[in-house]
Amino acid sequence: MTPPAQAAAVGSLVLSGLVVLLLVAVALEHLLRTRRLAREAARRAELTPLVHALLDGESTAELAGAPALLDELVLDLLPQLRGADRSALQAVLLERGVVGRAADQLTARGAARRGRAALLLGNAASAEHTTPLVHLLSDRTAEVRSAAARALGKTGDPAAVGPLLAAVASRQGVPPGVVGMALLDLGTGVLPALRTALDAGRPVTQALAADLIGVHGDPAATDALIALVGDPGRDPDVRRSAAQALGRIGSPVATATLAAALRGSGERPLRGAAAEALGRIGDPAALDPLTAGLRSADADVRGACADALTLFGEPGRLRLAAHAVLCGPSGDAARSALDVLEFTRRPGRHAARA
Amino acid sequence: MTRVLVVDDDPVIADLVAFRLTRLGLDVSVETDGQAGLAAARQLRPDLVVLDWMMPRMNGLEMCAALRADADPELARTPVLLLTAKAQEPDLERGFAAGATDYIVKPFSPRELATRVTAALPPGSVSS
Repeated sequence: MTPPAQAAAVGSLVLSGLVVLLLVAVALEHLLRTRRLAREAARRAELTPLVHALLDGESTAELAGAPALLDELVLDLLPQLRGADRSALQAVLLERGVVGRAADQLTARGAARRGRAALLLGNAASAEHTTPLVHLLSDRTAEVRSAAARALGKTGDPAAVGPLLAAVASRQGVPPGVVGMALLDLGTGVLPALRTALDAGRPVTQALAADLIGVHGDPAATDALIALVGDPGRDPDVRRSAAQALGRIGSPVATATLAAALRGSGERPLRGAAAEALGRIGDPAALDPLTAGLRSADADVRGACADALTLFGEPGRLRLAAHAVLCGPSGDAARSALDVLEFTRRPGRHAARA
Repeated sequence: MTRVLVVDDDPVIADLVAFRLTRLGLDVSVETDGQAGLAAARQLRPDLVVLDWMMPRMNGLEMCAALRADADPELARTPVLLLTAKAQEPDLERGFAAGATDYIVKPFSPRELATRVTAALPPGSVSS
């Protein structure tokens, strides 16, 4: 064998050896990991009855000496529970010092630690930590800000409403979706603050407030929402959210304003939202403006009007049928809505009233 | 003994529900997906099913609909309590449309669950 061939053979042997070593290392790691997980599962299985007994109101003397894995078990269970059982588990975390340690970590240097601490405090719903969590809403890391917002939602503390709404509009803000979920978590106690927010702050906050009021279906906000929809000087997104909220609230008091918005020269999303809201409300007085909307120059508005008419039962179907025989865009919209109506065989939610 | 089938792919929830219902003196079996749940229901013929919605292989709604359509009229009438994180109004409508007897939203109160299970079973089925 020539020297170069010998060198190649040695090289190949070394390479093969390395590959074998690598495979052995991977297999060993896999084996160790599997054993570790099995041990953890066994320890969890041992501790689970302790947590269940605790929820059953039994003595918790063993808790003090239980390993840290118990805290993980409790933290896994907490987001799934409410009521007295949730309170019992929160008390365990407090007693075992988990909450205190998390509060200390809120000012840690690492963003991951701060975020984890915020999430833990949220799960533990410690209203006493509202202030440090509010500070985290302006944290330099976006994930920590979102974690703090979610945590505040779970604390149930109404004092968090103002800072959460402000966080939507701040320079280093929190996404409106995250704040919206947090505010929904806080329940109906936030409604007075949301009504106030309709007329304060930046448009993004006002639009979010209107959206959430709609989700809650808060009738006390009807007049304020009507005023927003009817004010052409307002931000288009705010007016659209207000129109959608009025549809969800469902009061016929809003019909005239929504019909005017539909007929008006406002932006397309507002007119579409007004049509949809009129359909949801189901006031027979909306049949004429919705029928007129079938002739709108805008395809989305025509579609929204046609869809809204399908919710009126027979009167709406007759209006659509009258347009369906026409050529042109209004006929297309009417035929399309009738096809959907036929397919779903919707009897019309407002048939009785209309 | 009154038999309850719990079908939930989250072992933490399934264990908790099973524990709570066992304390009521019920005979509880657990399955982790709709397909296994349906097979268990046909075999065990439970008096009540506690059913999660979002599960692998066959979801809770599909399992509920399959139970309602079962050829065995007694099995088809089994009370089904949906226990789900899907909390929107249309979800609730879909749940009842699929044949659910009752609907509990997560996060939930195990005590409330026990009360609803007791109410859905014939009088005298639970021990406390």
